[in-house]
Amino acid sequence: MFNKLRIGKKGENIIFGTFVLLYIGWCVNSPDMNIESLKSVLTIGLSVGIIYGLVALGISLIYTGLDVVNFSHGEFFMIGAFAGLTMFNLLGNQDWIFNLFPDAYGWIIYVVCLFTAFVSMGLFGVFIERVFLRPLTKKGGGYTVAGMGIIICGFGLSVVLINVAYLIWNPVAKPFPAELGLPMEVGGLFLPITYIWMIVVGLSVAAGLWFFLNKTKMGLGIRAVAYSKDVSNLVGINVPLYISIIFGIACAIAGIGGTLVGPTYQVVVFMGYIILMKAFAAAVVGGFGNLPGAIVGGFTVGIFETASSFYISGSHKDLYAFLLMIVVLMIKPTGFFGVQVKMKA
Amino acid sequence: MLKINQLISGYGSVQILNGANMKVEKQSIVALLGGNGTGKSTILRAASGLIRSWKGTIEFDGEQIQNLPAHEIVGKGLVQVTQGKDVFPAMSVTENLKLGGFILKSKQQLSDNLEKVYNYFPRLNERKDQLAATLSGGELQMLCIGRGLMSNPKMIMLDEPSAALAPQIVLDIFKNINRIRQDGLTVLVVEQNVRMALLLADYGYVIKDGVINVEGDSKKLMYDESVKESYLGGTKANV
Repeated sequence: MFNKLRIGKKGENIIFGTFVLLYIGWCVNSPDMNIESLKSVLTIGLSVGIIYGLVALGISLIYTGLDVVNFSHGEFFMIGAFAGLTMFNLLGNQDWIFNLFPDAYGWIIYVVCLFTAFVSMGLFGVFIERVFLRPLTKKGGGYTVAGMGIIICGFGLSVVLINVAYLIWNPVAKPFPAELGLPMEVGGLFLPITYIWMIVVGLSVAAGLWFFLNKTKMGLGIRAVAYSKDVSNLVGINVPLYISIIFGIACAIAGIGGTLVGPTYQVVVFMGYIILMKAFAAAVVGGFGNLPGAIVGGFTVGIFETASSFYISGSHKDLYAFLLMIVVLMIKPTGFFGVQVKMKA
Repeated sequence: MLKINQLISGYGSVQILNGANMKVEKQSIVALLGGNGTGKSTILRAASGLIRSWKGTIEFDGEQIQNLPAHEIVGKGLVQVTQGKDVFPAMSVTENLKLGGFILKSKQQLSDNLEKVYNYFPRLNERKDQLAATLSGGELQMLCIGRGLMSNPKMIMLDEPSAALAPQIVLDIFKNINRIRQDGLTVLVVEQNVRMALLLADYGYVIKDGVINVEGDSKKLMYDESVKESYLGGTKANV
C-alpha cells in the first residue's frame, strides 16, 4: 500500500517546483518588489548564505569523517570570531603597520585576522578532538553506542565553550571595526563592503577545500577515511591522524566564518547557537554529508531567509530557515544533492 | 615469512581464536580453510592489525608485529586484500589503485606499480576512468587485489577472493594469484571454496573453533578424510 503512495524522483521535483513557483509568486506580488530591492536581497542573501554554507561545510565534513553530527560547531564559529577580534585589537594599535602600508592598512590587518582565526581554530579543533572525542572514537564511534556519546559530548562541549568564552570575553557584544573602505552602492542601497568580501572569501575557501580534497594526496586519504575506516587502514592510511585533520579543517573553516561576519554584525558570546541551527538547515537542504551541497544549501537558506524578511515579514526572520528545512524534508528528504546510500565526500 | 604463535583474539569480549598456530613460508601459497564463524577472517584481521591480539605473537619477516597499528603493518609489506565489495565506489578505478599505493613516497614508483597492476589485470586498464561502483563482481575482486599490490608488498593475504563469483572468473583470478607468487610474493588465501583453494596452494590449514585442526600438504589434504569431516560436515560432494 505504501508503495503506491511513493511519488518518485520526478514527482518530488514537480511538487518542489510548485512550491518554489508559489513562493516566487508571493514575493513578486509584494508591494516592496522592485529591481533595487531584488539586488540587495541577492547580495545580502548570498553573503549571509555563504556563512551558513561555511559552517554547514564543517558539519558535513565532520559527519563524513566521524559519522556524527557535531553540535558544538557553532561555538567554534563564535570562538573563531573572538580569535580574529583579539588579533585585530592587538594589531589595531600598532603604528608601524600603518606607516608601512598606509593605503592597504585595514585590508592587511583583516587578512591577518582571518589567517589567525583559521590557524588557531584548526589547532583548537585538533586539540578538542584529541582530548574529548578520541576516547569515544576509539570505542567504535559513528554508528555505535559511543557515537551517541559523541553527540551528547557535542552538546556538553557547546555549553562549556560558551561559558569559557563568557569568562574570557564577557557577554557584552563587541564591535569589530575593520577598516575595509567605504560602503558600496548596490541597487540604491549602501551596503558595507564586507558583504562582498564575505562572498569572495567564503567562495575561495570552499573552492580551496574542493581543490584540497580532489587534487591532493591528503585529500584522497580524507575521502577514503570518509568512506571506510577499515579499508583506509588496510591501504596504510593513519586513520586517527586523518580524523584529527578532518576535525581541524572543519573547525578552521568555521573560524574563518566567524571572523567574516564579525565586521558586518557584532561579536558576541551567544552568536554560535543560531548559526549552528541555520547551518544545520543549510546542510539538510543541500543534502547531508555532501560538500558542494552544503554551500548550495547555504546560499538557498540565505536567499530564502533574506527574501522572505524583505517581502513577507521582517519580524520572523529566524523562522524561515527552518520552514525551508521542513518543506525540503517533507518533499525531498535527501536534499538537493544527497544520496540514500552511504557514498560521502 | 609469517609466523602466528598461540594467537588468542576476538571482538569485544567474545573470544574467537583460541590459540591458533600457523606458518607461511616465503614465496609459497598457503590456504586457510574453514566454515563460517570458525575464525578465518579473524586471523587475517589480527595479522593486519585491525583488531588487537590478546595473547600470542605474530611474527612477520623476523619482526613481531602484533602491537603495531594497521597502517604501519602495511608499511612493513604485509597487506590484506579485502573482499571485492570493499572498494571506494565513488572513486574511479585509477583513484582506487592510487589509494593502494598511499604509502609510496615517489610518484615514479606509483606509476610503475600502476603499470604493473594493469599488466596483471588488463580489464582494469580498459575501465580505468569508470567509477568503481559500475564494475562487475569479478572486476571488483581484481581491483581489490590490484590495490593490494600497489604498495610493493612482500606478502598479501586474500580474504575469500572467490566469494560470489562465477567459476570461470574464479579460475582467472586464481591464475593471476599464481602469477603473483611466481613474481616473488608470498600469498595467504582464506577460502571457503576448498577444492579450488587446495588446487592453487602448496600447503593448507583447516581451522575449526578458533584452533588449527588439520594441516598438511595440499595434495594430501585434498584426500584427507578429516578435512571432509571437519570442513564439509560429512558431505563429500564438493571434493
